Amino acid sequence: MDELDALRESFRADLGSVQSLPELQQLRNKYAGKKGILTAQLKSLSSISPEQRPLFGKTLNEIKEFVEEELRNRELAFKEGEQEKRLLAERIDITLPGRPGLFGRAHPINQILDEIKGIFVSMGFGIEQGPEIELDYYNFEALNIPKDHPARDMQDTFYVSGDVVLRTHTSPVQVRTMEKRRPPLRIIVPGKVYRCDSDVTHTPMFHQVEGLMVDTDVSFSDLKGVLELFLHNLFGKNTPVRFRPSYFPFTEPSAEVDIGCIFCAGKGCRICKTTGWIEILGSGMVNPRVFEMAGYDPDEYSGFAFGMGVERITMLKYGIDDLRLFFENDLRFLRQF
Amino acid sequence: MRVSLDWIKEFVEVKAPAREVADRLTMAGLEIEGIEKIGDDSVFEVNVTPNRPDCLSILGIAREVAAAFRLPLMLPPSQIPAGAPASAVGVEIVDADLCARYAGRQISGVSVRPSPSWMKERLEKCGIRAINNIVDVTNYVLLEFGHPLHAFDADRLEDRKIRVARAGKGAKIVTLDGAEHTPNEDSLLIWAGIHPVAVAGVMGGEGSGVTETTKNIFLESAYFEPTSVRRTSKQLGLRSEASYRFERGTDIEFLERALDRAALLMKETGGGEIHEIVDVYPEKYMPVKTEVSFSRVNRLLGTDIPKQEILDILNRIGIGTEDRGETFVVTPPAYLRDIRHTVDVVEEIARIYGFGNIPARLPRTALSDGGTGTKVSDLDRLRDSIRKTGFTEAVNYSFMNITDLDLLSIPEGDGRRRAVAVMNPLRQEDGHMRTTLLPSLLQNFMHNISRGVRDIRFYEISKVFIDEGGQLPMEKLRFSGIFYRDRSASLWKQDLPGFFAVKGCLEAVFDELGIRGLSWSYSGEKFLHQGKAADLSAGDRRLGSLGELSPAVIERLDLKISKPEIVAFEFDLDSILGLIGREKTYRQIPRFPAIERDMAIILDDGMAAAEVRAYFTGYSSPYIESVELFDYYKGKNMPEGKKSLAFRVVYRANDRTLTDAEVEPVHKGLVDFILSKTSGELRGV
Repeated sequence: MDELDALRESFRADLGSVQSLPELQQLRNKYAGKKGILTAQLKSLSSISPEQRPLFGKTLNEIKEFVEEELRNRELAFKEGEQEKRLLAERIDITLPGRPGLFGRAHPINQILDEIKGIFVSMGFGIEQGPEIELDYYNFEALNIPKDHPARDMQDTFYVSGDVVLRTHTSPVQVRTMEKRRPPLRIIVPGKVYRCDSDVTHTPMFHQVEGLMVDTDVSFSDLKGVLELFLHNLFGKNTPVRFRPSYFPFTEPSAEVDIGCIFCAGKGCRICKTTGWIEILGSGMVNPRVFEMAGYDPDEYSGFAFGMGVERITMLKYGIDDLRLFFENDLRFLRQF
Repeated sequence: MRVSLDWIKEFVEVKAPAREVADRLTMAGLEIEGIEKIGDDSVFEVNVTPNRPDCLSILGIAREVAAAFRLPLMLPPSQIPAGAPASAVGVEIVDADLCARYAGRQISGVSVRPSPSWMKERLEKCGIRAINNIVDVTNYVLLEFGHPLHAFDADRLEDRKIRVARAGKGAKIVTLDGAEHTPNEDSLLIWAGIHPVAVAGVMGGEGSGVTETTKNIFLESAYFEPTSVRRTSKQLGLRSEASYRFERGTDIEFLERALDRAALLMKETGGGEIHEIVDVYPEKYMPVKTEVSFSRVNRLLGTDIPKQEILDILNRIGIGTEDRGETFVVTPPAYLRDIRHTVDVVEEIARIYGFGNIPARLPRTALSDGGTGTKVSDLDRLRDSIRKTGFTEAVNYSFMNITDLDLLSIPEGDGRRRAVAVMNPLRQEDGHMRTTLLPSLLQNFMHNISRGVRDIRFYEISKVFIDEGGQLPMEKLRFSGIFYRDRSASLWKQDLPGFFAVKGCLEAVFDELGIRGLSWSYSGEKFLHQGKAADLSAGDRRLGSLGELSPAVIERLDLKISKPEIVAFEFDLDSILGLIGREKTYRQIPRFPAIERDMAIILDDGMAAAEVRAYFTGYSSPYIESVELFDYYKGKNMPEGKKSLAFRVVYRANDRTLTDAEVEPVHKGLVDFILSKTSGELRGV
């Protein structure tokens, strides 16, 4: 039996000094091979006395299992190590940048336009469009701005001919829509508009979103509710909103809508001209004269309309301080949004 | 308009600090855009909207302050002592439709001299330069009461007789600014004898004006019809503080008081004697009364304002009211003569009640078809798709320089030559509306390349305007783009020619939108490289083109890069949107394996890949599932004038696994068919 213990010990020692798979194979041959030590021992079993034989045989089997298991484990360990080495050799520099420029960007004006559209569409407003080169009638007359009215001075107009203009606002689409559809009406009109003006705060073309809601019993209170909800969606729930009287020929009463300055939280800064408020949109109850001209009975229907400049809102939302950036289309600018 | 708070305080004893006064005015509809401190005084910059001519004065603003703070309004004295001598100047109104009232006073023996310093200071605070006491007094009263006055030198009025009449034919007048004008026949003039002495409500004439030697003044205070003043002022290109107020509407009742106030101030600053008033006022002003129901007010506003409060609000701003139970009748003062309809009254109630006090609620209304239609969402899908292929969205002005059409060699007679001209452009380069978006995109390219941006991919979706002879031009949506890549600077090299890079992007977009049945053919667009440009068509309809810019165009751009490969496209978007496939139908995923066979064919270089691909469709076999062109080769080991195209054909049966033995004869048949159609030969097998 001492002989068997010695055998186990010598295998242990041999295994400990194995460094590679080939050496492991040699070791396997030495012990478990056809001419290996264990095989020889098994063959010599017949020469052992019958009394000792069962115990010797059992021990020998145990050693055999032990040796085979150890050899398997060691082989697995060697293979894992080799795999690891191979993978390490295939290593790439994962800090190299990926292939760039997969996606393009939407223009910041259109990003905000999309956001505005989304808010109103979720409130059940539809989207209408109209011509950008427009009849004087729709741009002015039908909106209660007759020729020789001082309100025409509020907008510098590009003319194509005596009675055709580049629309100065998206409001003409209000009238065009009312002419072809009956209430209830809930629409917004996004689009390009033109004014004959160019300086630090004006570009000859810019974007507006117009809105109109008409039904049998729409009130100023509804106007406030809808626009407050809209502004809270766009600028955050806690943004203060105020309505103050103003004048547009096509609405009465008319209201200018301000939000609390988002840069100084209403304390007063350069951007809000120290007032703490920023003008964000114009609105009002549709003037009955506009209804009359569009063929709606002003005694039966009431409604509100509003309009906003998209560039201005985009500048506020993204902290852009130069209006002209929008139309230069510098990719270093556009890729920021 | 600039107004001094100290001056306002002469009319209303408001104790609140300037900031608070400004806020209250702003919230009542008179926006204070700025406050300037001058000494102890505060000067407000007021933005007076065109509907509030009554607020174009200290008095008007003071009225608003009084209403807002519930304080009484006080007017300065303007009582002329009785027993004044009769006027030597007579007045006759010929055209009463344009002048409803004309009053005047003569002041004789006056001295023209500098105004006292208190008057000068006030004028200057409000942005008006002091000249002499006579002119300054008219300006002072204009600011104070909002009523324009004009001072004539009475001795320079022929016959001492004023006549208010239209210009008629051929009238000429030199105004105070030294310019000679020929007013329209319908313009209203002030005449003395046979000479016009003033353009009514706009500007006085040079020949009748006050000079340093003037002794006798005739002071005019009149009411001129707003539209007439505005037309004349526009026609002559003459604007003044007076015309600004007349065209918005002045107070026909109050003009007498303004006249007297000015006469007294002239006497105070220049001595002399005030004469009896001459006042031609053929038809006295009658206010328009409006009956309004209390419930209508509250329904329009969404409020519950009690009757008494409604009446009180109106009384506070000088509007007379008569309670008739369910309704009330309002009588507006002459300075609010535009209040004629229910909504005018509602507006006044709302602004004094305070917009902030009106509750906000969400509308209760019926759902309806929003009417948005599919076009908007289709456009958004297209925008999303093209962005996914790497193009960034540009937004450009709708204007173009007409010479850009020459830059692009757009031929005469082409639709893009039918551009709409703008009558009053800001710059000549922006004189026309775009008929193509490409010049703008080229500008975007130039802007970026000159600033060192190396990878430029833009698309723009915008309208172009084509003059088709109708009253309004045709407005058509265009989908255009430009593509440029600096090959040397890229980390991950892409050798794909630009044309195919962009074509692939567009095809991916069309595929995502379910647009099928498009075909490409060589394009004849002059601004594109004739060998590297394609027209896109759907059936017989040409949708636009894609291609490399021609060397001639690139040369005109004067770039600092040699042989840049710039690819551009422009399509008629309305047509493309019309091709979008709406239906999506599920097809079963194949359950049995396929067999693939490749074939490479050597062909004449001139034979288009699309032509070869089309022949496959002519070979009938139920097992052919798909044919894909996967290799194109030209060059080494290929005979001159030849190229190789390799196709992968997928064979599959729906009901079983195909065997090689079944496919073999079919494929052989296909190869023979294609070779015979193309006169090609099989490559390297």
